[in-house]
Amino acid sequence: MTKPPEFIAPENYKPLLPKNQQKAALAALRSSATLAKASRVIAQKTAALRGAVLDLVTQMEAFTKSGDWPAAFAAAHEIRGLAGTAGLSATGRIANGFCHYLDALLRAGAQPDAAIVQLHVDAITRSARTEDETARHGDAVADELAALVARRLAELRNG
Amino acid sequence: MSGGAFEHLKALIVEDNPHMRELLCSLLRAIGITAVHEATDGDGAFRLMRETQPDLILTDLSMTPVDGLAFVREVRHSSDSPNPYIPIIMVTGHTERHRIEAARDAGVTEVLAKPIAASNLFQRIAEIVQRPRSFVKCAGYFGPDRRRQSGGGYTGPYRRREDSDDIAIR
Repeated sequence: MTKPPEFIAPENYKPLLPKNQQKAALAALRSSATLAKASRVIAQKTAALRGAVLDLVTQMEAFTKSGDWPAAFAAAHEIRGLAGTAGLSATGRIANGFCHYLDALLRAGAQPDAAIVQLHVDAITRSARTEDETARHGDAVADELAALVARRLAELRNG
Repeated sequence: MSGGAFEHLKALIVEDNPHMRELLCSLLRAIGITAVHEATDGDGAFRLMRETQPDLILTDLSMTPVDGLAFVREVRHSSDSPNPYIPIIMVTGHTERHRIEAARDAGVTEVLAKPIAASNLFQRIAEIVQRPRSFVKCAGYFGPDRRRQSGGGYTGPYRRREDSDDIAIR
C-alpha cells in the first residue's frame, strides 16, 4: 500500500526570518524608498544590458543562418530574459514568441518554417537596434507575429 | 530604512548570464542583503551552498553543465544538502507551461519570470516571509506544498481512492 504523504508545517523548519523581524522585513520590501533604490540600480545597468542584447541578436542571426536551432533558441531565450529589463520590451515580446515557436517545433521534431524564422529575426534585430522605443512600432509587430505563430502551431497540432 | 531585517541573511545566486547575475545581486543588496554568493551552474552552486550555508537561493533554469532543475532536486533530496527546506526562487525566462511545471515538481518555492521587475522579486520574497508553505514528503516528491489553496471550504463528496483520513502531520 502507498505510504500517505507527510506534511511538515512551517513551524517545524527554520523560517527565512524569525517572527520578530518579519514585520520590518515586509515594510522594507514594500517601501517606496526600497523600490526607488532598486529602480536606480536597474537604470544604472540599462546600457550594459542593451549591449548584451545586441551581442545576443548577432549570435541569434548567425545561428538561424546556419540552421543551429537549439543554439538559436538559446540566444532568443537569453534575449527575452534581458530585453525587458533593458527597456526593450517589444524586443523581449517578439523574442518570447520566437522561443514559443522554436520550442514547440523542436519538441515535435519538426523543422522551423524559414519565412517565420526570418520575420522574427528581422523584427528582433530592428526592434533592438532602433534607439527610439516609440519609433519601433514593436508592440504592433509583436502582436502580429504572436498571432502568426499561434495560427501556425494550431495548424501543426491539427495536422 | 531597508537593511535591518535582511542584513544577517546570506543569499546564493545561480545564474550563467553575468549581467543578470550582477543585476540580481544589486537588487538583493538594495534590500539590505550584503552576503551574496554567486555561482554559474548547479554543480558549483551546490558546492558553494555547502560552504556558505545560505538562507535564500535565486536560481536560473537553463545552465550548463548542471541546470537549475537538477540543482533544486539535489538541494531537496541529497543527503549532503545543508538545508533541504531552504526557500528557492527560480528566476527564468522560460514561460512555457511544461518548463514551469517541471520547476514546480523539482521543488522550487517561487517562480519569477524574466524580464526582472524589482517589485516582482520583492513580492516573491515577501510571500516567503509572510506565507511560508508546508513541505510535503511523499513517493516521488519532496518540496513545498504545490497547492496554493487549502481547499478548506470543500465539504465533499470525497470520491478519490486516495482520499484518506490518515495523512501524517508533524
